[in-house]
Amino acid sequence: MAASSLLSELRGSLSDESARIQRQFEATGEGCAAVAQRTRLIEDILLKLWREIISPDSSEPVNFALVATGGFGRGWLFPHSDIDLLFLYADREAEQTFKDPVRRFSQELWDLRLKLSPTSRTLAECDRYDTNNTEFTISLLDCRQLAGDRDLFRKLHDRVIPKLVVRESKALLQGLAEVTRERHAKHGMTLYHLEPNLKEAPGGLRDYNVACWLALISAMDKLRDWPDSSSIRAPVRKQLEAALDFLISARCFLHFRHGRDDNSLSWEAQDEAAARKIGTGDAAELSAADWMRIYFGHARAVQRTVMQLLEEIPEAWSALYRQVQSWRSRLSTADFSVVDGLIFLQQPSALQDPEVLLRMFHFMAHHGLKLSATTEYRIEQALPALAATPPRGAELWLYLQETLLQPHAADALRAMHSLRLLTLLLPELKLIDSLVVRDFYHRFTVDEHSFLAIESLHRLKQAQSEWDKRYGGLLSELEEPELLYLALLLHDTGKGVPNGSHVEASLDIANRAMDRLDVDPKEREEVLFLIANHLEMSAALRRDIFDPETVKAFAEKMGTPERLKMLCLLTYADIKAVNPEALTPWKAENVWQVYIAAENYLNRSADQRVHADVNDEKLARLRSLAPVAKNKFKAFLEGFPQRYLLVHTAEEIMRHMQLAEELGNDPVMVDLKRGRHWYELTLVTRDRPFLFATLAGVLAAWGMNIVKANAFSNEAGTVVDTLYFTDRFRTLELNLSEWARFRNSVTSVLLGEADLEKMLRDRQRSEKGAIAKVKVETKIEFDDSSSATSTLVQVIAQDRPRLLHRIASCLSDQACNIEIALIDTEGQMAIDTFYLTSGGKKLTTEHCRRVEKALVEELQGE
Amino acid sequence: MMKLEAIIQNSKLDAVKTALHEIGVEGMTVIEVRGHGRQKGHTEVYRGREYSVDLIPKTKIEMVLADALVEKAVQAVLGAARTGKIGDGKIFLSRVDEAIRIRNDERGEGAL
Repeated sequence: MAASSLLSELRGSLSDESARIQRQFEATGEGCAAVAQRTRLIEDILLKLWREIISPDSSEPVNFALVATGGFGRGWLFPHSDIDLLFLYADREAEQTFKDPVRRFSQELWDLRLKLSPTSRTLAECDRYDTNNTEFTISLLDCRQLAGDRDLFRKLHDRVIPKLVVRESKALLQGLAEVTRERHAKHGMTLYHLEPNLKEAPGGLRDYNVACWLALISAMDKLRDWPDSSSIRAPVRKQLEAALDFLISARCFLHFRHGRDDNSLSWEAQDEAAARKIGTGDAAELSAADWMRIYFGHARAVQRTVMQLLEEIPEAWSALYRQVQSWRSRLSTADFSVVDGLIFLQQPSALQDPEVLLRMFHFMAHHGLKLSATTEYRIEQALPALAATPPRGAELWLYLQETLLQPHAADALRAMHSLRLLTLLLPELKLIDSLVVRDFYHRFTVDEHSFLAIESLHRLKQAQSEWDKRYGGLLSELEEPELLYLALLLHDTGKGVPNGSHVEASLDIANRAMDRLDVDPKEREEVLFLIANHLEMSAALRRDIFDPETVKAFAEKMGTPERLKMLCLLTYADIKAVNPEALTPWKAENVWQVYIAAENYLNRSADQRVHADVNDEKLARLRSLAPVAKNKFKAFLEGFPQRYLLVHTAEEIMRHMQLAEELGNDPVMVDLKRGRHWYELTLVTRDRPFLFATLAGVLAAWGMNIVKANAFSNEAGTVVDTLYFTDRFRTLELNLSEWARFRNSVTSVLLGEADLEKMLRDRQRSEKGAIAKVKVETKIEFDDSSSATSTLVQVIAQDRPRLLHRIASCLSDQACNIEIALIDTEGQMAIDTFYLTSGGKKLTTEHCRRVEKALVEELQGE
Repeated sequence: MMKLEAIIQNSKLDAVKTALHEIGVEGMTVIEVRGHGRQKGHTEVYRGREYSVDLIPKTKIEMVLADALVEKAVQAVLGAARTGKIGDGKIFLSRVDEAIRIRNDERGEGAL
């Protein structure tokens, strides 16, 4: 044993010096000084013990050396970090000789309560790379001799390590990349945690070291020797100097605060760090959220560097990955070249054109590529000029929506955000930049939560689990998914406004953002609806979801199936982005239950009638728009189903009213327009038998594919039917003159001036029967209880040309009056709901049977 | 000490938590569960596909209580979770031999 006097001296100096270092840190906040002093203190203790136990006669032993590795080797010993030591032997014999003294040496250090992490290796063992222990070989890269045989250490440092690194560089780089990716995956691949781990999380100190090691291994591989130390660490260090100083000070602070090697930045620690201005020098007073923003800024810089190095060092990737990336080089365009999965600019000056910049992120979102370091640098250079006149208006919205719709939209948004481009284009997002909102369930900052929500929706397209597939099905049915993505991007922006309801604040901010983007009023209304109600579905879950009243209240708030679908997906994505475990199958099932209950309710209650005298927000808006006399307004709207008001905008209803007024001159009014996804044909006329069937027939005869339709009538017998269709043969798209012919054809068939049957026969002759990819079984279901005045029939069948015409004709043949038709298509499945009456009453049971029989025969008769 | 386990309707969780807090119950474990008792589930139809809900999502709460509090807690759960309809759930009570607080070794009711 070492003399007890020495031990007590060492214990005293360890305790006094440690306290002094802590006091000094508390006074100055200088982390780099603290870790350097701690390194010297421990070295001093080790050497005193070494002289006492290993070389009492002052002569250094032969064939044995004491080497500092890892953090200790770098000279960064944090107050409670492990002390990485290597006992290096020339051979087994030397190991045997020093076995006892080394055991005593270690024992004394443990008795001093120092946390030792010792490794014993012979020189030959150091020369072996074990793929299961990449960490050991990596720790050698920071080796530094403390005591013992100098020649032995030189052999390790000058011969063994360079040879080992050169020989194993590919495996080492791949191993290092692998452990780094695994570590990042443990932290959800993001640095934006509400309570991040300062050492291990992406952008933490470990990443800084990885960046240095990657650069060092690459350089050694090229030089076949150690590079000049300044040439390796200096560039990384220079780039990340501020980040490193901050992270070192913050980690020192955490060690002193926690009294152990605990690197988690808890909320309490964030408060204290902000109050003590840790790492921020003489900054003004900081809130914890401000201090965290500074932290995220530094972590972002570290993460960017390490990710760039991982991307740019070819050996860091497996052969298969390289193959895929090299295949992607074919994606190059006139603007961008793609090399190894990284985007480069064909013309460096091209970024002066903001459109090129926006196209680049669209390209990135589409192909899942990353930006090269030079491209990022060029973007940063281009930003100040862009800031003077940032793009805005409809053009920006067009680029943004196209980007939001691409499968890798979230990564593109993250890249834009990290380069400060996103907040330049939408300054409203500054409020949630790296924002920590303390919430027991949330794991990520508000901006990252929003990106994750967008990402989780895109991932639905490759859904594997049963639940995800169901939600994925809904996503594929959306008419305007870009509005849902925009709502997700903006839904929590209000969290950046202190006090008050974040939903209200988000609505204000979203309005400002949509002013900037010049979003059209109808789209804006949808986005605002989603933001305003983004907590509604979760709230409905807390009520009895099997209670019809709960379902009714919720469904009525939604209004239309489209809004319901979007809100259901928004709720799914919002919960999923809270933390990886938040969307349990239990919760997914509950959300789905609410969705189907509300969806069924909406389809079965579509005939609640409008009373034009009632005070309702939409009616009030219409009254304010209507330049017509009050009685005309009342006469038109009275008796339409409530659904009519919900699926049409006020402007559309005004147009219908105008068309209805002109019916006196012209018995059939037809309006045709082209929407973003399909054409929209509106028919206003007087109700008569076979009307809907005939209309569906004309469209079929023109080869149009009806995707959706609504047929409504008011008390006075005015019908407003809207059919949304795709132009299978591009007749209207390619021939402008066909628009008038098409409209005339609809009118003349409805007026009985043209022969629909002949038109249909002609169409049938010219079309070959396509073979359906998916077989949909025909299902006919009657519901006599949902509506007080009509019998509902839902027909589910294989979608095919003329289907709607055949169903509607069959219903009319069976003396049914179609009060309301709600037509929808999901892939190859047509889902049509009709509200039927006969002689002004519901259908009798016998009548339903006849209708069912007729429908079955009609649909089987292919 | 007794362990109280109650399976309740999801919509009643807030009311049950409030009722239990009011009588001085401080901690509980809430678990998302699925199951059925006599309320055997039902079938929903969505777009022509039958969607069977044979295991209904429910909420289970668990807590270990000092003997003096057990009956009050039972009454609190009954009062807050009852609607009178099938599917209101059940309460189970069982005896607990020991409770130990991991932080400081405290034992018995003091550890609750």
